[in-house]
Amino acid sequence: MSHSTVPRSRAEADETEKTPVAPGGATGPRGKRSSAKLGLRVRFRRDRVLLLMTLPAVVLILLFNYVPILGNVVAFQDYDPYISDNGVVSILHSPWVGMENFQRLFEDSAFWEAVRNTLVLFFLQLVLYFPIPIMLALLINSVVRPRIRAVSQAILYLPHFFSWVLVIAVFQQLFGGAGILSQLLRQHGYDGIDIMTDPETFKFLITAQSVWKDAGWGIIVFLAALASVNPDLYEAAAMDGANRWRRMWHVTLPALRPVIALLLVLRVGDALTVGFEQILLQRDAVGPGASEVLDTFVWWNGVRNQDFGYAAAAGLIKGVISLGLVLVANKVAHLMGEQGVYQK
Amino acid sequence: MTPNAASLSAGPSGPSRRSFLASTAVATAAVAGGMPLLAACGGTDSGSREGTTSGKDAKKILPAYVASNVVTPDIPSKNGSSVGFSSKLDLATLKTSVPEKLGKGGKVTVMSPFWGSPPKSDNAYYTAMNALIGVDVVWQNQDGNTYDQKLGAVLASSDVPDVVVVPGWNMGGKIPSAILSKFADLGPYLSGDKVKEYPNLAAIPTDAWQRALFGGKLRGLPMPSSYVTNIVPFYRKDLFDKNGYQVPTTTDEFTALAKEITNAKAKVWACGDMKWTAFNSFGVPSGGEKPLGWILEGDKLVNRIELDSYLEALEWTRKLFAAGYVHPDFKLGKSQAVDPSTKFAAGEFLIYNNDISSWYGQQASQAAQNPQFQIWGMDIFGHGGADPVIYATQPANIFAFVNKKASEAVIRDVLAVANVTAAPYGTKEYMLTNYGVEGTHYSVKDGVPVKNDKGNQEVLNAFVMVASPASTIAHPDFPDIAKGQVEWQQRMGAFTRKSAFYGMQITEPSRWTNLSNDFEQLEDDIVRGRKKISDMQAAVSDWKKKGGDELRAWYRKLLDDNGTATS
Repeated sequence: MSHSTVPRSRAEADETEKTPVAPGGATGPRGKRSSAKLGLRVRFRRDRVLLLMTLPAVVLILLFNYVPILGNVVAFQDYDPYISDNGVVSILHSPWVGMENFQRLFEDSAFWEAVRNTLVLFFLQLVLYFPIPIMLALLINSVVRPRIRAVSQAILYLPHFFSWVLVIAVFQQLFGGAGILSQLLRQHGYDGIDIMTDPETFKFLITAQSVWKDAGWGIIVFLAALASVNPDLYEAAAMDGANRWRRMWHVTLPALRPVIALLLVLRVGDALTVGFEQILLQRDAVGPGASEVLDTFVWWNGVRNQDFGYAAAAGLIKGVISLGLVLVANKVAHLMGEQGVYQK
Repeated sequence: MTPNAASLSAGPSGPSRRSFLASTAVATAAVAGGMPLLAACGGTDSGSREGTTSGKDAKKILPAYVASNVVTPDIPSKNGSSVGFSSKLDLATLKTSVPEKLGKGGKVTVMSPFWGSPPKSDNAYYTAMNALIGVDVVWQNQDGNTYDQKLGAVLASSDVPDVVVVPGWNMGGKIPSAILSKFADLGPYLSGDKVKEYPNLAAIPTDAWQRALFGGKLRGLPMPSSYVTNIVPFYRKDLFDKNGYQVPTTTDEFTALAKEITNAKAKVWACGDMKWTAFNSFGVPSGGEKPLGWILEGDKLVNRIELDSYLEALEWTRKLFAAGYVHPDFKLGKSQAVDPSTKFAAGEFLIYNNDISSWYGQQASQAAQNPQFQIWGMDIFGHGGADPVIYATQPANIFAFVNKKASEAVIRDVLAVANVTAAPYGTKEYMLTNYGVEGTHYSVKDGVPVKNDKGNQEVLNAFVMVASPASTIAHPDFPDIAKGQVEWQQRMGAFTRKSAFYGMQITEPSRWTNLSNDFEQLEDDIVRGRKKISDMQAAVSDWKKKGGDELRAWYRKLLDDNGTATS
């Protein structure tokens, strides 16, 4: 739980002093222990107003996040929602099939293809996409003139508000088989290329689309973190002769580290969610072999084929794997000395 | 999400479909949405609900047939074709087939697939139809291309509309189970002589009603159609004439022609995805509905996917793609494909296959801005010099169902609606249903009704989805096309065979409903070069092992119990 920090540089030492990043350090446990001494009733009375204020949120979470989890029982059924008008009654009357849905899943090559595609996409996006908002944030942060900064921020945010349909249509017009690029090539005597329907490069295509659309939006959190860095640190570093790169390495990046770690953990928890709408829209263009991910697999089998039990089983497996990934990522974050999403 | 996918594919297709005669627009769109080749009958959970209803059991519940002869068609039905009307209709002396309003003024909500952009809910067409019927019909129009994605969710809810229109190709997965448990038995109102209360429904042919028997009960109001294949290979006749291209009569001639036409540098490709036509050219049984895929070879039931011709058709189509004769947009598949009609009109490709109703729809929508544009259907070309063997589709494939919870008053009102929409050609009711109000939706030029923009926008889908008269082709504004369509059906009808379970409404046992879910996807992968023919062979042997052979035995028993439609 505790961690030792031997400051390797002046800047880092400053950083640990000035930014309150270490609740796992000295104050946390002591505070915990002292409040544990007060009885439950005393604490309850003391915090009742606060507790009352959280009540609506707790009820909402229970109602919309926890109660639906019970619906996962259909993963063990040949669920037929049409038996009655009431979902609960339908569940009660659907035949139990035990582990049959899971057995089918494990034998289904399409499912494993979806798992593989999901993981490949996740790692590819982790490497190619995740660092880009950080770099953009640093870039924007280094722009001094407010006007240029505001304009470039607006331009970067804008694509986030386009729908996927629009983004893909634009890509299609530019890079499709009858698109501008292909026609240009043909007119100059080359063969046309069809980037949009090539299963081999599909994973790069959708990563590129994601970067174009959402990387700009992703810089917001990092900009906020950068804004909270004490300018004195830069001044002090500059006085010590640190050049621009060293300032970035020793001041800026350490300041971003907790945020990066947090987002990384969250991203890993979301690893198996690699973009539903975007992929579904392009599923037919490259075929499910290259494009099916777990979410589209669930949609296809559940909503499209009404094989709800089967789809629920796939969803359940996805949930279990995701939970495992979050736990592992959080552990790694702790080992790195960061807070992660929760603490013991 | 998916509604966006819908708007992408449905959006651009709107204008070209607007000018359709509503009754024929429906089927086109089925194709535009991608005819789900293997989605059809599914299964239910109990033994009594599986199978089909035929013979004596069927006779007991089928409505009586009373022919109506309002106008005699000048092209009578032959070889299973629709009846055709190509001579001028005297609009002044239209007959009345519904002398008194049968509606009792109740409110009826209808959910129905819609291809194109739905008009406002209080438009002049809906108001006029409601006034004529005497029922307040409220439309819940849903995008037809992605209807299967919404249908399952709506039927699983507790809020099912009074009437739900379900096309046969959307009856995949557990939808057949929903049809049996959510929709009312119309037998008490329509069986035998009871139907005579609704004379226009009594004039719907019995084979269409036969298809409306679900789980031993008369549950659907059918839309009759010709059983001759609805997929026509269309070509740009004007550009063919201009360039001296010959219409191909064999698959080899087609390939040679495709090579001649394609000039990618000039943005001209020969054709679209010709898979559906290839199936017809090579003699593969229809994939529009699962039971239609079974044929008798000698005494053995064989499924379409087991035939060599199935693989040959896929291979031939694959070669067209591989050689670059197919317009690149068709590689995208249906969820993203831009409506082909605009690029066809622009001459980016000269041949594509689509529902027969596009023949009229395309011509009518281009008539004003592109006078030299001429679309025509080519006969389905055979393979290796022989005549093609074409398998029949079903005599009815779209049904309107009434909610089980509907009161008798609501059911009577729905039947009143259907009795008007099923009025035959030559009646005032047909005219209003298909053309709208004179002066508002169409004007009469030289005795011919011509729809205006408002007509093209409002008089589309909706009412024609509830029930229709015997399959009719009539385009007073383009009589040549009506003639061309019916004659095409008659020529192709001569090559048409009925497969073993033609005409029956069959519910497969639920344990096999998911067996062939992925075949259409695999076909599309193969023709686009992403999978190999050997992958299909592997999938077929997998299909056999996982239940295909048991399914064959189940169908065998059904055949022994019921006989075939042709026997």
